[in-house]
Amino acid sequence: MTQENLPAPGRGAWNKAETIESLGGDEELLRELVEIFVDQSPKLLNKLRDAISSFDAEGVMRAAHSIKGELSCLGALAAAKTAQKLETMGGKKEMAGASEMFTSLERELKALKLSLADFTQS
Amino acid sequence: MTLSQILDERAVVSAPSPGLDTVLIAEDDPVFRHLLESWLQRWKYRVVAVENGLDAWKVLKQENSPQMAILDWMMPGMDGIEVCRRIRSNDKGRYRYVVLLTAKDEKRDVVAGLDAGADDYLTKPFAVEELRARIRAGRRVLELQEALLHAHQALQFESEHDPLTSLWNRGAIFRVMEKEAQRSRRSGKSLGVVMADLDHFKEINDSYGHLMGDAILKETGGRLAAAVRSYDWVGRYGGEEFLIIVPGCDAAGLNASAERLRQSVSEQPFESPVGPLSVTLSLRGDRRSRQNGDAGL
Repeated sequence: MTQENLPAPGRGAWNKAETIESLGGDEELLRELVEIFVDQSPKLLNKLRDAISSFDAEGVMRAAHSIKGELSCLGALAAAKTAQKLETMGGKKEMAGASEMFTSLERELKALKLSLADFTQS
Repeated sequence: MTLSQILDERAVVSAPSPGLDTVLIAEDDPVFRHLLESWLQRWKYRVVAVENGLDAWKVLKQENSPQMAILDWMMPGMDGIEVCRRIRSNDKGRYRYVVLLTAKDEKRDVVAGLDAGADDYLTKPFAVEELRARIRAGRRVLELQEALLHAHQALQFESEHDPLTSLWNRGAIFRVMEKEAQRSRRSGKSLGVVMADLDHFKEINDSYGHLMGDAILKETGGRLAAAVRSYDWVGRYGGEEFLIIVPGCDAAGLNASAERLRQSVSEQPFESPVGPLSVTLSLRGDRRSRQNGDAGL
């Protein structure tokens, strides 16, 4: 079962079980990390949006790199992959299609936040 | 910096380094920073967490700073690899263990990171067991270094000190005298030397045995060392003879020093299993200064 085949708002937006396992079974720590991420990601997303609209390839690379890192840490692999594509675009200074890519990243993040909220409120 | 260079630095102290239990984390991403900090604290490390390379370098320049550093590769300002380079080219004292954090797709960078002086790397995202294992590996290296430094110190002490009295041994006190003589030539300050001899030591040995003789030598060494100024040097020249180097003193000062040394031994009888023993010391001194050349005491 790959992440991409799942509809966005589903529980497959992130791999909770695997992430908890990678944290040595520590749900409490994951909860803390999720909270930091939820608090942090709008800022990063804004940075990324600004960098894309001002054709700042270096900025795109850096912001996308940070988002990718956090997403992979939380096991949100599909969204991490999208962020990774943006990072590569920034790195190669080939920004054609970056806006579209950003839109799908935004959509994925929205779906992710729903399931993260499920988790933090559970 | 190689181990021998570190050893030469002699920035070595006998207490275990306080930086051994502290880990520096330089990571601009708050999620990873929190993750690393949480685990390391759980493993009983003290953690210093900073958000960029410049702050990391500031922390590392302080005294007793963390000996292990986990540096994110990509950070604003100064990146991890630059911090790593600075550690290797400017860092004095103990070896630091550096772990670089990279993202999965940056494997090719790992070679560059190791070339810049990193000891190990962690690929984000990492599982907690991996983090723990890498930290443990680093800890092993640092503990090994600590053990080597201590062994080196112990050997160095042994090679320079007389095992019975713990005073400087003959070779060491001669080297000290040579250094002080050079210093006195350079600075123009005088240099005094006192040779002290325990009186009738052979009789003590003959009457009470060599164990008693040893005890007397040991006690004498302690008394002489306590009677000198902090910048004087006391060595065991051999047998019952002691050599005391007294830098920067006039004739009256050297006389006073010699008198203090004499009294330290004769004033109080030595406690022994056969009751108090009176011991005396004979001394002769010599002084050299730029003004008067050699002058006897």
